[in-house]
Amino acid sequence: MRTSRGLSAALAVAGLTVLTACGSGTGSSSGGSSDGSLEVWSRSSPVTGAVYKKIFAEFTEETGVKVEYTPILDNFEQRVAEAATARDLPDIVINDSGMLGTNVSQGLVQEVDRDKLKGSADLLDRAWDQAKAFDGKYYGVPFNVQSFATFIRKDWREKLGLKQPRTWDDLTALAKAFQTKDPDGNGKDDTYGMLVPASTDRGYASWWAASYLWQGGGDFLTESGDGKYVPAVDSPQSVAAARWMQDLFCEEKVVVPGALTLQTKDAHEFFSSGKAGVYMTGPYMVGKYDVDLGKKFEVIASPAGPGGQATLAEGENVYLMAGSKLQEQQRRLAEFLISPKGQKIGLNSTRPEPPVRLSVNKKVDTVAERGGDARWKMFVDEFNAHGRYTPNVPNWQPFRQKSGETLNGLFARCDADPKAELTKLADEFKQELETQKVYGG
Amino acid sequence: MTASRTASRTASPAASRYDTALGWGWGRGRPLASTTRLVLYALVLLVFCGPLLAVLTGAFDRTPDPSQMSLIPRHLTLDNFEIAGERGLWTYLRNSLVITGGALLLQVGVTVFAAYALARHRFRGQALALMVILATMMLPEEVIAIPLSLVLGDLPGLGVSLRGTLLGMILPMGGWGFSIFVLSEFMKEIPVELEEAARVDGAGELRIFGQIILPLCKPGLGVVVIFGFNMIWDQYLLPLIVASSPDQYPLTVGLQLMRSVPEVGVGALLAGALVALVPSVLVYLAFQRTFLSGLTTGAVKG
Amino acid sequence: MTAGTGPSTTRGSSAATGLGPTHSDPGPPPPRPGSVTSVPSARRVRLRRAVLPWLFLSPALLLFLYFKYLPMAKGINLSFYKVQPFLGDQWVGLDNYTRILDEESFRRAFGHTVVYAVAQTAGAILVGFVLALLLEGRARTLWFVRSAAFLPVVAAVAVVAEVWRLLYFPGQEGMLNSLLSWFGSDAQRFLDDPDQALGWVIVVGIWKNAPYDMMIVLAGLASIDRQLYESAALDGAGLVRRLRHVTLPALRPVVTILLTLAAIRGMRVFTEVYILTGGGPAGSTDVLMTRIYDLGFRANDLGFASACSVVLFLLTLVLTGGVTWYRRRKELS
Repeated sequence: MRTSRGLSAALAVAGLTVLTACGSGTGSSSGGSSDGSLEVWSRSSPVTGAVYKKIFAEFTEETGVKVEYTPILDNFEQRVAEAATARDLPDIVINDSGMLGTNVSQGLVQEVDRDKLKGSADLLDRAWDQAKAFDGKYYGVPFNVQSFATFIRKDWREKLGLKQPRTWDDLTALAKAFQTKDPDGNGKDDTYGMLVPASTDRGYASWWAASYLWQGGGDFLTESGDGKYVPAVDSPQSVAAARWMQDLFCEEKVVVPGALTLQTKDAHEFFSSGKAGVYMTGPYMVGKYDVDLGKKFEVIASPAGPGGQATLAEGENVYLMAGSKLQEQQRRLAEFLISPKGQKIGLNSTRPEPPVRLSVNKKVDTVAERGGDARWKMFVDEFNAHGRYTPNVPNWQPFRQKSGETLNGLFARCDADPKAELTKLADEFKQELETQKVYGG
Repeated sequence: MTASRTASRTASPAASRYDTALGWGWGRGRPLASTTRLVLYALVLLVFCGPLLAVLTGAFDRTPDPSQMSLIPRHLTLDNFEIAGERGLWTYLRNSLVITGGALLLQVGVTVFAAYALARHRFRGQALALMVILATMMLPEEVIAIPLSLVLGDLPGLGVSLRGTLLGMILPMGGWGFSIFVLSEFMKEIPVELEEAARVDGAGELRIFGQIILPLCKPGLGVVVIFGFNMIWDQYLLPLIVASSPDQYPLTVGLQLMRSVPEVGVGALLAGALVALVPSVLVYLAFQRTFLSGLTTGAVKG
Repeated sequence: MTAGTGPSTTRGSSAATGLGPTHSDPGPPPPRPGSVTSVPSARRVRLRRAVLPWLFLSPALLLFLYFKYLPMAKGINLSFYKVQPFLGDQWVGLDNYTRILDEESFRRAFGHTVVYAVAQTAGAILVGFVLALLLEGRARTLWFVRSAAFLPVVAAVAVVAEVWRLLYFPGQEGMLNSLLSWFGSDAQRFLDDPDQALGWVIVVGIWKNAPYDMMIVLAGLASIDRQLYESAALDGAGLVRRLRHVTLPALRPVVTILLTLAAIRGMRVFTEVYILTGGGPAGSTDVLMTRIYDLGFRANDLGFASACSVVLFLLTLVLTGGVTWYRRRKELS
C-alpha cells in the first residue's frame, strides 16, 4: 500500500508536469507587447528580412521603441489568420496591398488617419490609393510600390541573333526560339521559353495574367460610375487576351513544365538555373539574378499587346493591426518606415532583395539609391506610365482567386474555350459583386 | 518473418510445389521458370526501390538542374548536403529528432500506464474508458485540424498557447489509441497466476507492474515503440499547423523549402529526403521482425 | 496475441476486445483470491482498486481531452458560426452546411476523394496480392526482395510525395519521362494534365501501400492448409481454379477488413495531394482535406471549414460504423 500511494503521488506529479510543461513552453510565442516592444511581421525572405532588421535597429535608436521582428515567407496569410483567430495579432504587419480588402472585411486592421500621419504628404498619391479601402478610408500606410517587367536571358537571345521583343508576336517568337533552338548550346533539348507561376494558390495565375489581360485591351471589371462595377472579363478583348495566353501553353507550348502547379517561390530558380529564358516578374528579383546570372540577363519593359503597354501595379502596406496596446508606437514605426530615412535604408543598394521595391516617398530618388541602375529606372517609368492597380472593390481577393482558378483551368485544358469559360467567370464576378454590394448593372 | 515461419510449420520438410499458391518450380531442370522469376524480382525491386535508390544516388550527385535526377551518379559531391544545410536541413533534422524523441517517450509512457489499467484491472467505468480511448482513433489530426489549431493557440482553462513551439507538436502525439489498445491486448496474455503469486509474496502495484508485467510484454512494447516512431516521424499536417516559422519545421515539412536551388538543382531536396529516409529505414531494418509481427498478426486474427 | 491492423478504429466497439460486457457496468469486481489476506481494511483496498486504474489512465485521458475531444467540440460549435475574431462571431445556424451542398468546388472535391479512396485501396490490394503470390516462399532471395519492396511503407509520406514530384517532372528530362522514352513513349505531362493528375496521385498511393497489403496477404497465404493445394491438384485443377477456389476464399476475411480500413483512411488523404499538386491543376486533384485546409488556413473561413470537417468526420463515422456492423453480423453467423 505504501508503494501504491507513492505511485499515485508520482502519477499526480507526472500529470502536473505535463501541465506546467505547457505553461513554460509558451513564453516565447506570445506577442511582444508585454515588454513594450512592437511585434512586426513581414512577408519576406531571410535576405530581405536582414535589411528590415537594419531599418528597425535605426528606428529603435531614434525612438527607443524596441521591435521584435519576424520575416515569414512560407504560408504568410495562414500565420496571420491563425494569429487573428487566437486574437493575438502582431502589432504591425507589412504585406501585399492586395490583402487590404480581406484585412478590412475581417476587422484585422485599424483605420489610419492620413492627415495626422507625419510625412504623409510626401507620399505619392497613387501609392495612397493602395491603402484606401472601398469606403474611402485608409486602413494601411503604403510602404513600397512596384511594377512588373520582362526578364530575358540576354546571352541566349544574342546567341540566337534575335532582337529585344517589342510586341506580343516578338515575345512569342523569342520564347519559341528559346524553347526549340537550344539557346544554351548544350546539344540537348532541355530549355523552355517562358516561366509562368500559374498555380491557383493565392490566385497566382490571375496575378501573372493581369498584366497581359490589360496589354490585350481586356479587363477584369469596369467601373460603371458611383463606385459600382460590372464584369469586363468576358469582353472580346479579354477573351482574345486569354486565348493568347492559352496558346502559350497549348499551341506554342513555350511554358515550363509544371507551371500549372508552380508557386512563385519555387519558380524563380527555373530562370536562374537556365531552364527558361523569359520571365515576367518584379524588381525584387533583379538583385537575386545579378548574383546568380551576372550579366547574362536583361530586364525590359513588357512588350505591348494589341491594347498597348500595361503592367500590374501593386505594393505593400504597413498595416496597423487591431487589438494592439501600442497605438502610439505603431504610428511612429509607420512614420519611420515611410520617412526618407526609412525608405533609403530599405532601398539599400548593396543588398540583392531590398524591402522597398520602388519608394513611395517623393523625396527619395529610387534610381539614385539603387546606384543609377537603368533597370530600376525602367521599373519606375513603367509604374508611372503603364502601371495599373486592380479594381478598388471592397475585397479583391475572391476575384483574384476565382479568376486564377478559371485561367489555370484554361491553361490546363487545351480544349477549353476561352469565351465560354470567361463568360462563366463573368457570371461568378457578377455574383461576387452583388455579395460585396457593388454591382452596377 | 511470421509468414515464412508459419509456412515452414505447415509445409513438408522438403520444398514442395504445394508450398506456395502459385506452385512455381525452382532450381535445376527449370531454367526458364527460374529466369522468368529472377526477371520479375528485378522488376519488383526496380519499381519499389528504384525511386528510393534514386534519392540515395541523387543526394550525392551534382546536377544543377531543377528537374533532373538519375540512378547513376555522374559527379559525386557532398555539396548538396552543404547547400541543404544552408537552407536549414540540420535545423529540421534537430526538430524532427526532438519532436520524435519527446513525443515517443511521452507516448510510450502514457500508453504503458493506460494499457496496464485497462488490461490488468477491473473497475467501475472501464468500458467507458475504453470507449473514450478507442474513439479517439476516429479523430486523427486531419479531421480536427481547424479547431485543433485554435485549441493549440489557446489551451482552454490554461490560457497558454502552444503555437510556434515544438511542445505543440509533441503533446498532441502523446496519446495514441491504437498503441494503448495493442499493448493492452499484449498485457492480457500474461497469465494472472504470475501476478497473484507476486501479490502473495507481498509485492505492491509498482513492483508487479515494473517487474512482471512490463518485462513480459516486451514484444508488445516493441510494436508500440516502432509504430509510434513511424507515426510521429511521418507527421506533416500537425507541424504545418503548429509551426510559426521555418525554424520549427521538422524534416517532412522543411523539405519543400529545399525544392530547387540554383547551385545544385534538386540535389538539396534529395539530400534532405535521404536524411529523412535513413532513420525510418534503419528502424525498420533493425526491428523488422517486431514490425511485421505487429502488422500481420492483427490482420489475420482480426 | 492480437494486434490491430494499423491505426484503425473498428475493433474498439467490437466485443472481440474481451473486456467484458459493454452494455452494463461490471460493478465492483470480486476480490481476487489471495490478494486480500494481508490487508487491514477491505474498504480501503476497494477504494484503492477503484481509484488506481483511473490514476493510471489519467495522463492518456487528459491528453485526449485536450487534443481530441475539446477540439472536436469546438469544431462542431464553430460550424454554426461565421467566425470573425475581431468583429464578433455571428450565429448562422445551418448555413455553413447548406453551403457545402451548394458549393461546386466542395462537391467536386468530394468526388475526387471517393475516387481516390476507392481506386487507391483497390489498386494497392491488387498489386499487393500479385506481389504476395510472386514473393511467397521460404528462399533467402525472396526474403530479401520482400524486405526491400516493403521500404515504401516505412518512408514518410512527405518524403515519398516530394520524390515522386520529381519523378513526375513533366518535361522530357524528367526521370519517368526519360525512362518512358527508352520504350519509345512520348513525354507525359503527368501532374500537369488535369485529366490524368488524379490518376498519377493514386499511383503514388498504390506504390506506397501495396507492399503493406502484400505483407498482410502473405500472412494470410501462410495460414492456408497446404493439403488443400495438393488435393486441388489431384482433382486436376489448374492454377487459375486453384487461386479462385482455394486461395481467394481463405483470404477473404483479411481482405475485406483491409479494404474498408484503407478506404476510410483514403477519405482523409492530405499530405500526398498537398505536396504533389496542392489540389491543382484546375482543381483536378482537390480532395476534402485540401479544400478544408484552403478554407480554414488560407481563406480564414473557419466556420465553413469546420462544417466541412464535421462532414468528413461523419463520413468516416458512418463508414466505420458500417464495417463494425458488418463484422458483428459475420461473427454471429
